[in-house]
Amino acid sequence: MSKLSITIDGRTFVVETPPLRRTTSEIVARVDGQTVRALTPATVSPELLDWLIVDGRPYELVVDPNLRWIRSRFGLHQIEVRDLEATVARPASGDGRIKAPIPGLITRVLVSPGETVELGQPLLVLEAMKMENEIRAPRTGRVAQVHVAPGQSVALGVVLAEVE
Amino acid sequence: MFRTILVANRGEIAVRIIRTCRDMGIRTVALYDDTDLSSLHVRLAHACVRLSSGALYYDAAALVQIARDCGADAIHPGYGFLAEHDEFARACEEAGIVFIGPSSAALARVRDKIAVLETVHAADIAVPRHSPRAYRASEWEALRDAAERLGYPLVLKSYSGGRSHGTRLVREPTQLESMAQHAHSSALTAFGDDRLYLEEAFLPARYLEVQLVGDRHGNLVHLGERDGSIQHNHHKVVEESPVPYLTDSQRQDLWRQALAIGRLLGCAGACTIEFVLDAQGRFYFTEVKARIQVEHPITEMRTGIDLVRIQIQVAAGEPLGFSQDDVALRGCAIQARVNAEDPWNHYLPSPGCLRRFRFPGGPGVRVDTYAYSGCDVPVRYDPLLAKVVAWDETRAGALGRLRRAIADFAISGVQTNLPLLQRILDAPEFAAGTYDSDFNRRPLPGAEVPPEQLRDLAIAAALAYIRRGIDSSGVLPDRAGSGWHRDSRKLPQ
Repeated sequence: MSKLSITIDGRTFVVETPPLRRTTSEIVARVDGQTVRALTPATVSPELLDWLIVDGRPYELVVDPNLRWIRSRFGLHQIEVRDLEATVARPASGDGRIKAPIPGLITRVLVSPGETVELGQPLLVLEAMKMENEIRAPRTGRVAQVHVAPGQSVALGVVLAEVE
Repeated sequence: MFRTILVANRGEIAVRIIRTCRDMGIRTVALYDDTDLSSLHVRLAHACVRLSSGALYYDAAALVQIARDCGADAIHPGYGFLAEHDEFARACEEAGIVFIGPSSAALARVRDKIAVLETVHAADIAVPRHSPRAYRASEWEALRDAAERLGYPLVLKSYSGGRSHGTRLVREPTQLESMAQHAHSSALTAFGDDRLYLEEAFLPARYLEVQLVGDRHGNLVHLGERDGSIQHNHHKVVEESPVPYLTDSQRQDLWRQALAIGRLLGCAGACTIEFVLDAQGRFYFTEVKARIQVEHPITEMRTGIDLVRIQIQVAAGEPLGFSQDDVALRGCAIQARVNAEDPWNHYLPSPGCLRRFRFPGGPGVRVDTYAYSGCDVPVRYDPLLAKVVAWDETRAGALGRLRRAIADFAISGVQTNLPLLQRILDAPEFAAGTYDSDFNRRPLPGAEVPPEQLRDLAIAAALAYIRRGIDSSGVLPDRAGSGWHRDSRKLPQ
């Protein structure tokens, strides 16, 4: 059994589940000590989980690959998963590097190295899908480096700038 | 009637046009570039041609040449791109190809938005106060002086484009300079022309429009009005017809004014007259859109009229074939635009490959899209992925159907605004039909999830977490045996 702490829309549940099988199958899980039966899809789907039936209640789901949210027919739910049996803490995110969130074209650079920036301040403008998108500072700090110039095309995930 | 139509557009509107052409027995030629080859419009046409120049769908000369080469006798421009370019319409006319839309002379007239405002004003129809001309990015001082004379709040608008690129609401003088710079640059990005003009802003406002159809034999009728007040960044998100907050006399007045403006400007084919309604209930004419609109399906659902078919028939010189008395405006229709973007992350566009694209159906529901599971959402074009339209005899019925349809629309692979649309449709103010342009300034709480269902979704999250672990470890056995699998263990999950 895996033991997980799941926070969804601000409510926390402790979920214990057995290992999953590769075929469509029924599992017996425990939520906050209560037993629940769930039908789970086969793992051949490239998606994490595209549907689920819990005690006869069916759900069509879209799950964020990074497990930050789940979409159900009710809307979008923010989630946070903590593995209560994991011994190693996950690395902290947000090291101040700003990566291209989408491929596109840098149209403007609004800051230069050495400048102090506030959280949320626009740093660069990235054009994609006929829209200009402001790339903002992930934290308050000093611009350590700017790696791109106007007119430059960037691929997904390229480091654009660093704030320390 | 035409034998072959070149569809000079892409995405959902190209699909929409091709479908009507096929209903009419007209051959179609679709265009594509290397990034949208997988879109449905390419597959549904009779022939397709790859765009090779850098200007792609904007390359007027190349499009006219393609039309000639493939023997097209007409071009349908859709919306955006070259739909309102008088020079493109003229190039078509000179090549002996029918441009499905207004004549180049009529387009040149309506393209000068300030002249249109003045023509309409001269006919005793109210228009917003506006700057006397448009300004380039290099004319900052002249623009600032014009803003001083006009007063605040004001709206910056792109002189040569629609679809809201370049539109900015300026509430305070201190915002003007940076907003003007942004607007100049986004107008240049979208239309290749950085000129902006200024209009007095009404806060809060409601954005209304009347759909007109006319022929070249003097017939002009209206097909009812639409609301487009629910916007994000000046892009409409939800539209509906009829407009729920108008009195009958306001509605009659709106139709009458729209028809008068349509006659004044010589509108033919499908044409939209846009108005803004201020808090005191006064209408002001703002713009005319001499093309098919993104929100045209709500009018089609209410009237049973195929607007693209009318455009084609009128362009071929045929009369409209019906009068105002023949038009029945039935029930209510609401449209929601599904965009590939992330409303929870600064509305960043989200291109990529669609893994699951399972769209809704059922009574009264229509989906217009170019997409399907496995299709690529290109990075180069606007994020409109699909339009979901619901119709019913009553507004409550139409809203219920649209809520159901949006909740049932499952898309994975790219981020979408579907959860935001759900929140808009669930908002009491939307259900009451009393909303205005301030709607998007108010918080939109999500629906209350029953406790039992929330617990079920927590199980879903737990299973997804475990499955993620299985999937990454499950890859290893296939790679075992080859030398480099040792390194593959180090790959991030």
